[in-house]
Amino acid sequence: MEMEIGTLVTLISIGVTIMFMLGVPVFLVIAYWVLGTSLALGQRLDNIGTALSDVFTDGFALLAMPLFILTGDLINRAGIARRLSDFAYACLGWLRGGLAMAAIGASGLFAAISGSNSATTATIGSMLHPEMVKGGYDPRFSAATAAAGGTVGIIIPPSIIFIVYGFIMNLSINDLFIAGIVPGAMMVLAMIITAFIVSTINGWGYLIKLDPVRVLKTALGGWLGFFAIGLVLWGIYTGKFSPTEAAGVTVGFCVIVGFICLPIHKMMHIDEERDINERGFSEMLVVRGFGPLELPAITMRSAQITGILAPLIAISVVMQQNLSSLGAKEFLENFLISMGGYYPVLFTAMAIVFVAGMVLESLPVTIILAPILAPIAASVGVDPIQFAVVFLVGASIGFITPPYGLNLYVASGVTGVPYFRLLRYSTMYLFSLIIVWFMVALFPSISKTLLPGGGIYELLQAVFGGGAAPV
Amino acid sequence: MIEWITGTWGIFAGFFGVFVDIVTGNEPDFFPLRSALRTEAAWLWGLLTTLLGGIIVATIYRFVPWVERNLEKTIMVIAYLSIGAIIFIEVIRRFVFSEQFPWSTTIPGYLFLIMTWTGCSYNVRLRTHLSFSEFRSKMPRLPQMTLLALDAFLWWGICWLVIVTSMRVAANAGSNYMLVTGTNDVFVWWFLISLPLAFVLLSGRVFQNLFEDIRKYRHGDPMIEQTVLGGQ
Repeated sequence: MEMEIGTLVTLISIGVTIMFMLGVPVFLVIAYWVLGTSLALGQRLDNIGTALSDVFTDGFALLAMPLFILTGDLINRAGIARRLSDFAYACLGWLRGGLAMAAIGASGLFAAISGSNSATTATIGSMLHPEMVKGGYDPRFSAATAAAGGTVGIIIPPSIIFIVYGFIMNLSINDLFIAGIVPGAMMVLAMIITAFIVSTINGWGYLIKLDPVRVLKTALGGWLGFFAIGLVLWGIYTGKFSPTEAAGVTVGFCVIVGFICLPIHKMMHIDEERDINERGFSEMLVVRGFGPLELPAITMRSAQITGILAPLIAISVVMQQNLSSLGAKEFLENFLISMGGYYPVLFTAMAIVFVAGMVLESLPVTIILAPILAPIAASVGVDPIQFAVVFLVGASIGFITPPYGLNLYVASGVTGVPYFRLLRYSTMYLFSLIIVWFMVALFPSISKTLLPGGGIYELLQAVFGGGAAPV
Repeated sequence: MIEWITGTWGIFAGFFGVFVDIVTGNEPDFFPLRSALRTEAAWLWGLLTTLLGGIIVATIYRFVPWVERNLEKTIMVIAYLSIGAIIFIEVIRRFVFSEQFPWSTTIPGYLFLIMTWTGCSYNVRLRTHLSFSEFRSKMPRLPQMTLLALDAFLWWGICWLVIVTSMRVAANAGSNYMLVTGTNDVFVWWFLISLPLAFVLLSGRVFQNLFEDIRKYRHGDPMIEQTVLGGQ
């Protein structure tokens, strides 16, 4: 008796879920689902070989992903990330929980140059966790703060996941970047408030005086970071660069800065460990930098992360194709439309993204679900850009939702705090992010305010000199 | 069975023909190879390439540690920095000189392809591919060893699949003399061949890991260690 395709696909899905729970790499889990369903559907397997190369060679947009990952590592090694976190601490250190809030603020600033959640978590976590523990914070809270702070890495532009979303949904990546600015800032604010409340209740952290000179010095110290942020935002906002070009320009900028600063830093004998109050203004202007011989090691670190994420993107594209062939889109469409109008569809889609984010990495979630859910949302009147932001904020929350929260793993890895012990405090951040998520879903103006017709867009166009509209 | 063996022989002959063309400076003729790869015998060839190729790679890595340490890294770093350099320089050229090479938007994509799959192989060795290992790490040693062996067989299965299907794509591109958009003399197959080659390297990494796991199991060493993203 021939087995029905539906039964076969169910058995395959159960099989790969067991594989996942047994610790088989996610790439293999998806690959075997693809293989099994391709055989069940009677499709030619050659499609897999084609897709695994076409994903990279058919478009220019996806190239921004490795370049923004590299940017993150370059600014970290150059010492720019350290300066940004010093600035955030100088601004927030006078409040209870200042160092935790500074970690969140620094994550937001780091995210505005890099585009990677894991790079943000790893950099901020490894940099500030020891200081937070020294400052009397619970190590679990410190690690959870690094994990939660990393979620904005993919919402504040530039963002790897926005690039992937725009690439597969054929939406303007520049528009998506701009739409992510306000929601990203809200996420940072919500997490800062959470850090403040938790730290105040527990009496964690020591206070430093709000010193305008220290703020000014650290702001000056972070000038290269602010310049890089300005360069990316200016290029994208005025349409001077595509996101990939913006990424290339930022990489070039960081490399040049790194090479120039290293000899100057050595010549001036700047001690990065010395207290900021004891340093002169001129010392703050120069970062540590790096030499040409260090470049391969920095690049290698980024290449390793790209070598994990890019194969996942490629195989997820094939999975999405098979899901379409299986009629998943029609099934979900019927299900969602039966829920009713605008809000029921939007909230059900959010629930699907949330549940998927609990068990899958955010890139597969985006590649698999976005092509299915976005057209359905559009059919009930949800604006495509607005839906993209809602979808991706949900996907970013998936980075700290157990059992499979990538940032939790990264934070656990860089801080040494066991995975399950992080969950108590990461859940607090999770609640605050969910509140922001619903606000973004309920008020489309949050994501659209900086886009044409959003109000602030026209003002910014006037300020930036009326360049080309974002493309 | 005879058909499979002769078909596999035809594929190896096709490769030899392409190799001879390249060595003698002629335009490589991919047509015989493409035709041979279209048969079902390609799967037998793919299995042999996955296993024998993997063993050869693992053996080279064993006896020439420099290659083991540097081959993938060198490919990845050169490809990565080339992508960044091409894009950065071309943006500057566009702004300053109002000109840009037409291949500057296509070649980086092919370099990305090379970097990605070489990186995939490298991450297999480091065991840094994303996975949910909470349950596995708490299991007794025998189930852990069994699951690590399962990983190895699953990787080989995927290597087999990708080596066959991607080699068909590369041979097809070579047979059609496909050029990279924006160039006059850069063939697409030069880049596409990196995909099956990367999976042969990956197969070698799987052999290395399995040998290491068996050794650890026999010596009573910890089977599963915490890995860090971005660690080396």
